[in-house]
Order: sequence, then structure tokens, then C-alpha cells
Amino acid sequence: MAELVLRNVYKQYENTEKSWFRKKKAQKLDFAVKNLSFSCNDGEFIGILGPSGCGKTTTLRMLAGLETVTDGDIYIGETRINNLLPKDRNIGLAFEDYALYPPLTVYDNLAFNMRAKKMSNEEIQKAIDYVAPLLKVDDLLDQKPPSLSGGQKQRVNIARAIVRRPKLLLLDEPLSHLDGKMRQGMRHEIKRMHHEIKCTTIIVTHDQMEAMSLADRILIMKDGELQQMGTPMEVYDNPENEFVAGFIGEPPMNLLPSVIQKEEGTLFFTFENSPLRVEVPKRYLGILESGKKVTLGVRPMDVMVAKQTTAGSYIPIAIYENLGDERRISVRVGDSLMNMITTDNVVYERGQEVQLEFYAERTHLFDPETGKRIRAN
Amino acid sequence: MSAPTGNTYSNTETLVDTQKNKRAVTALQTFGRSLGLGLYSLFALFPLFWMVLISFKSDREMFNTLFIFTPTLENYEAVLLRTDYFMAFFQNLIVSGGAVLVTVVAGVPVAYALARYNFKHKEGVAFQILSFRFAPEIMVVVPIFLIFQNIGLLDTYLGLIWVYQLITMPLVIWVVRGYFEDISVEVEQAAQLDGYRWFEVFIKILIPLIKPGLVAACLLAFIFAWNSFTFPLVLTGFQVQTITVTSMRYIASDTVRFGQVAVAALVAITPQLIACLFIQKHLVRGLSFGAVKG
Repeated sequence: MAELVLRNVYKQYENTEKSWFRKKKAQKLDFAVKNLSFSCNDGEFIGILGPSGCGKTTTLRMLAGLETVTDGDIYIGETRINNLLPKDRNIGLAFEDYALYPPLTVYDNLAFNMRAKKMSNEEIQKAIDYVAPLLKVDDLLDQKPPSLSGGQKQRVNIARAIVRRPKLLLLDEPLSHLDGKMRQGMRHEIKRMHHEIKCTTIIVTHDQMEAMSLADRILIMKDGELQQMGTPMEVYDNPENEFVAGFIGEPPMNLLPSVIQKEEGTLFFTFENSPLRVEVPKRYLGILESGKKVTLGVRPMDVMVAKQTTAGSYIPIAIYENLGDERRISVRVGDSLMNMITTDNVVYERGQEVQLEFYAERTHLFDPETGKRIRAN
Repeated sequence: MSAPTGNTYSNTETLVDTQKNKRAVTALQTFGRSLGLGLYSLFALFPLFWMVLISFKSDREMFNTLFIFTPTLENYEAVLLRTDYFMAFFQNLIVSGGAVLVTVVAGVPVAYALARYNFKHKEGVAFQILSFRFAPEIMVVVPIFLIFQNIGLLDTYLGLIWVYQLITMPLVIWVVRGYFEDISVEVEQAAQLDGYRWFEVFIKILIPLIKPGLVAACLLAFIFAWNSFTFPLVLTGFQVQTITVTSMRYIASDTVRFGQVAVAALVAITPQLIACLFIQKHLVRGLSFGAVKG
């Protein structure tokens, strides 16, 4: 258990595919990870979140030592681990597709690492006796991996990663191969396991719900670059940019391109090809002026069908979904759909014309060109 | 089972009748299937049976088709006792076994490299290895003969084992390569994290995983090498003799001693027969089950 620090880490892959006839120099590809710096505290649970190909798994593999670091430093505690062999880094890695050793029993799978370290059989037995009940694999110890179910394999996989008492535990998309219900159960178990062993843990995932529920802090990446790092509520409530805003939350935040227009002394957000107009909240009055283009971000929970008649115009409901616990309503705003979620027990139907009401204080503004958040003064 | 109406009795009767019918149909099907398979096995095994039969016939009875005759052991005596046929048998064992052994030692790493690493002309190399099987042996045997003559490999175990690699190597490499490709790289990486050297991982984890394929491919390779005729015919002489070539000795220029040929052939197929019967399950599994999932 230790702190982990990454300083200006870069990763660049080389394209080794060469042409048949010409000798080409190894082509350098784009950076898979660009200038990544972050640190996590002892015992912290960090989630690295991003779409596929954003460099999150590459980052994890650099931490594990399965990829070389092109530039920058990685420290675990006081030690710079850039050039250490994977086995000397004291890291536990749970692979995405389990990667258990099929010819060995679960017990031997767990013991494999400790045998390499020449630990005595009693010590191995002790370590497995501690870890196996923690991940509920104690009944499986005599079985071999091919006879296990997906969830069982994943539990063995994680058990194998933690049985060696790593300083740093890395989980590579541990839930992505499991079905819905199993996924939720496994999520709870990972959480419980982390409370129990309090090991610095990094989980890589593309599922924002996993990251939100498990991690103490979330690190969001896109195209190899860090977008934002913060606690789940920070990234949810204060997204730094359009990408983070659109990535966190299910369904994601509505991002509507809009133009500010002044009518009768009041500023409104107006939308192309839509009669919808939204009054600009007071806190933005100082920074917005008529004619400015912004992207308005509003979470589906923060917009609703107005209960009383207001000044706004009527818009027909395009899609209405009743999911039992909640109802999802979509209306067409210009070319895009705006989603709303309501838990009211009012039933609407498709085509019905409604007025909308925004929680003005919980709207976000983004620069349409850079995607950066525009903050109220 | 029966309907609660007045005609329960007749209903039950028809029910029993249909059940009987069904049973009869199933029995008929089973019988038909057995008959079909029996006929096929008769068709497939008859040459073998005929070979056994004529091996016990004297030269006089050789060309009649009678099943009843006075069996004689003179063919066996002639082949097994009066010639050095057993010698050829063991020499064939050495050559074929040696060829398979060399193939395993050299071919499995090649298969691993072809499955795991990306290098220039990888597919080209793989295809080249496979293409050794394309050319008819008779086409390459003359140049090989000349080369062997010059470097003194003619009529040696080493030369024959070497040339047999053309037969055994492609088979083993291509089957085992598929097996390696099915093993997730992450398994090896996990072992790397666990602190094992590559070689230990190879022995402890990878070899058990490829075993079914390896065994099946080796068996087939052994059979092909064992049956090889063209190469030993041209490349061997007096020092090394294989049974395929030696069997020819019973076909003399004036007469063909079919009884002795039959004995020679029977002895020749014995190891393959035994191997196939024992490893049959492995053979089917090894060549049809590609996927290894962990």
C-alpha cells in the first residue's frame, strides 16, 4: 500500500508493420497517452473512465510494467518504477478477460505467485485462507478455471491479484464481461473487498456508473488526455468541459447549441429551428450578451414539464417512455432530442404539447468552439 | 394418461399401440443404423481382413477367393525369420520417431513465434512452411539426392530425419500455432507479473494447454513419416532401411510373393493401429477442438 504518482507520462506506440517491398522506418503513431499527471493517496480507490481507445488501459499497463513508458515518471511511494520488471513492482493486476491458468486448480492459480517467491506452503495456505472467503472462492479451490462461471472466474482473478498483498491493485474492466445482475453483485463485492484490505486501487472502466459507485475519485480521459479528475459528485456537478458533461450521467446531459437573444430587455437562450426559449439565469447575466453562441448543458433531471402555464411556448412530446420508476420524455429541439426524466406520476402521450421548465441554477454553459466550461463570475 | 370418458379402455389400447409402434420404429432405426455402420466397416476393413487372410495362404492358394483353406505360417517364417525385416522395422521406428522428436523440439517454438510475434513476412514464412506439403515428393527428391550425395548424408539416419521434416514440420506447426493463438496473451502476462520466467510459463502453462493438439498432430506426423516411401526409396540404401521400401523386396522381378507382402504390410501397420486405437479420443479432440478458454 502506497501512494502512486504519475508525472507527465507519455506513451507512444511504434507501428512495426512494414511494407513488403520498401524498407520503411518504424512509423511513430499518435500518442496513446499525453502528458498524464495525477497522484493518488494511500488506500484510495481511483476510477479511470473514458471511451474505448482513450488510453486508460494503456495507462494501467504502464503501471503494471507490461508497456514501456515513453516519457515521464511513475512513482509508487518513493520508488521510481519506470524501469522495474513487472514482477518487482509489487502490483496486483486483474485482467479483463481473467487470464487464469487453465491447467491449474483455483488453489494453484492463487498460489502461483507465492510459489515463484518461494514462500513456504504454510504461508501460502494462510494467505489463501484469508483471501478466499473475502472473495467467496473458498468453495472453488479444487476446481479448474474452465468449469467456472464468468463471475466466479472474475472473483478468482481478483483474488489472485490481491493474494500477493500488492502495494497497488489494478482492475482492468473487471465487470465488462458479466451480465447485468452479476455486475451489480460484483460491484458490491469489490467495494466490500476494498474496505477490507484498504489497498490503493485503480479501476479502469468505460461504464460511468461503475466508476461513480466504486471510486473515491474519478479520472476522465479522452484521446490520451486527462479531462478532469475529482470526486464523483464533483465531476457530476461541475464538469470541466462538454466531454465530461456528456460522459457522466445516464442518460447523459443534454447539450444544446444555442444563441443568446435579447427580447424586451430579457436575455433568452434560443435554439435554431425551435420555438423553445429559455430565460438566462441571473448568475450568467454578467457574462452573456445578445448574439453570443453557447452550448447549454442541462441534465435530464433538471428540466421538466411545467406544472403551471408560463410564458414559454408549447412543444410536442417526441418520445414518451414509461419505465415504471421514472418516465422519460424527449422533445425535439432543433436537430437534436432533449431528454427529460420525471418521477411524477403524470402520464403523457406522444404528440402532446407541453411547456418546459428549467432549473435555471443547475444549467451549465460551454464554449461551443473549445468545449470548455463557461463559468459565471 | 387416459381420458376420463367412456372409451377409456380403447384409448389406453391405442396409447399402448402407439407406444409399441414407437418402440418398434426406434428398434428398426437402431437396427438400420447398425446395419449401415456394419456394412461400412466391412467395406472399410475388408482389405485389412483380406490381407490377414492371404498372409496365411500358401502361394498356390493366393489367387483363389476361398475363405476356407489350410492356413500356413510359411509366409511369416519367410519374412520374419529368414530376412532382416525386423531390422527395417526398428530402423523405421528410429527414423520416424526421430523425425517427430525433432519436429516437436524445433516446431513448437516456431509455432509459438508465428502465433505471438509480429515480424516481417510472418504470413509469408508460415505459408512457406505449409507449402512444403504442396510439392510432390518425387519432384524434390532428385535434387535432395544430389545434395545429400555431396555432403555425405545419403543413407544415414540424420539425412532421412532431416528430410522427413518436410512431412512432419508443417503439420505440427500449423496445428500447434492455432492452439497458441487461442491462448490469451494475458495468461502469459499474468505469469510475468507473478514472477515467472518465460520458459517456466511455457512448460507449466502453455504446454498443458496445447497438449491435445500437439499429441494429435504428432501422431499424424508420425504416421505420415512412417508411411513415407519416396524419400527412403531414393535416399537410403543398405545402412538405413525403412519398411516401406523393404516391403518392396517381396515383389521380385519374376514373381510377386503376395503372402509375404501381406505379412510385411501387417507388421508395418501394427504401430499405427495401436497408436490410433489408444489415442483415438485425443486425435478427434485435438484436431477439432481449437478453443482453449481459461
